[in-house]
Amino acid sequence: MASRRPLSVPDVGNALRAQFGQDLADVADRDGHAVVTITEPRYRELITVLRDDPEFDCDYFDFLTAVDFPDQQQFEVVVHVYSNSRNHHVRVKLRIPRDEPVAPTIHDIYPGANWFEREAWELFGIVFEGHPHLVKLVLPEPFEGHPLRKDFELMSRVAKPWPGAAEGEEGEEE
Amino acid sequence: MGVIDNVNVPQPMKFILNWGRRYSLWIMNFGLACCAIEFIAASTSKHDFMRFGVIPFAHGPRQADLLLVAGTVTDKMAPAIKRVYDQMPDPKYVISFGSCSNCGGPYWDSYSVTKGVDQFVPVDVYVPGCPPRPEALLHGIMKLQEKIAQEDIGEKWTGGIAPAPVGS
Repeated sequence: MASRRPLSVPDVGNALRAQFGQDLADVADRDGHAVVTITEPRYRELITVLRDDPEFDCDYFDFLTAVDFPDQQQFEVVVHVYSNSRNHHVRVKLRIPRDEPVAPTIHDIYPGANWFEREAWELFGIVFEGHPHLVKLVLPEPFEGHPLRKDFELMSRVAKPWPGAAEGEEGEEE
Repeated sequence: MGVIDNVNVPQPMKFILNWGRRYSLWIMNFGLACCAIEFIAASTSKHDFMRFGVIPFAHGPRQADLLLVAGTVTDKMAPAIKRVYDQMPDPKYVISFGSCSNCGGPYWDSYSVTKGVDQFVPVDVYVPGCPPRPEALLHGIMKLQEKIAQEDIGEKWTGGIAPAPVGS
């Protein structure tokens, strides 16, 4: 069926722009996938639209993770959803302040996000407001700190510095 | 086995007992990462460690003589390994297979990886490699068998205190 072909990136951008206007901060094309950046107040609304709008029909939640940007003092929550019927991917990014990392939960929109939010909570320290069960998932119980934050102190590297770049890699960071 | 650890077993008997033990190692595979695949390769027909008397896949830790830790040991997995080890009956042996379980390997600076399984269970043989080839495991098993052949079982069970000689 012609109408069930994947939405192109400009199509996704235009359709979402019409609904979200200025709240849609950015639309980018990454390897043929639409990557959209949304502001926090309409984040849940955007996810709901992606799931329920027959135009998008993103019935499959792929993953939720986060990225640490210490120089910009921000975390970025990344949600990736996919449409089985149309075979297209949409990635949603949400920027939140690093000193107060709170994001809305989407576990009630996509139940699969439940564990991903727990993981992002323990590894980055992002609190997902409204999440029913924010307890440790993959880290051992006594673990302290958020190891995927870039300022997390690796004890082994305190004792022994990073041995340095391999041959031909000089100048590369770390 | 009250007799054996209370008396000094004569050398020929010791030889026979150790010979029996070294060629009937029931193995418990604690496969945690890619090293487990090499272990499986070593157990299949091409390398076939059964010809050395290693019986693969004991039905549980309580039937096993040899614990093979193959792969990346994380701090969260460590209590499970310790528990399996504690469930095994004496005499028991541990082979640490691959760089990760030897010392942390490429994850030497990780926040979650235990830097060596020998931090909480005694290891008899370390097999280096990332991952080691099946031949390396065969070599490790033969080294362990050499070790068992030299063993004084009474000494092992009494913690190094030599038992009284026979007739004293």
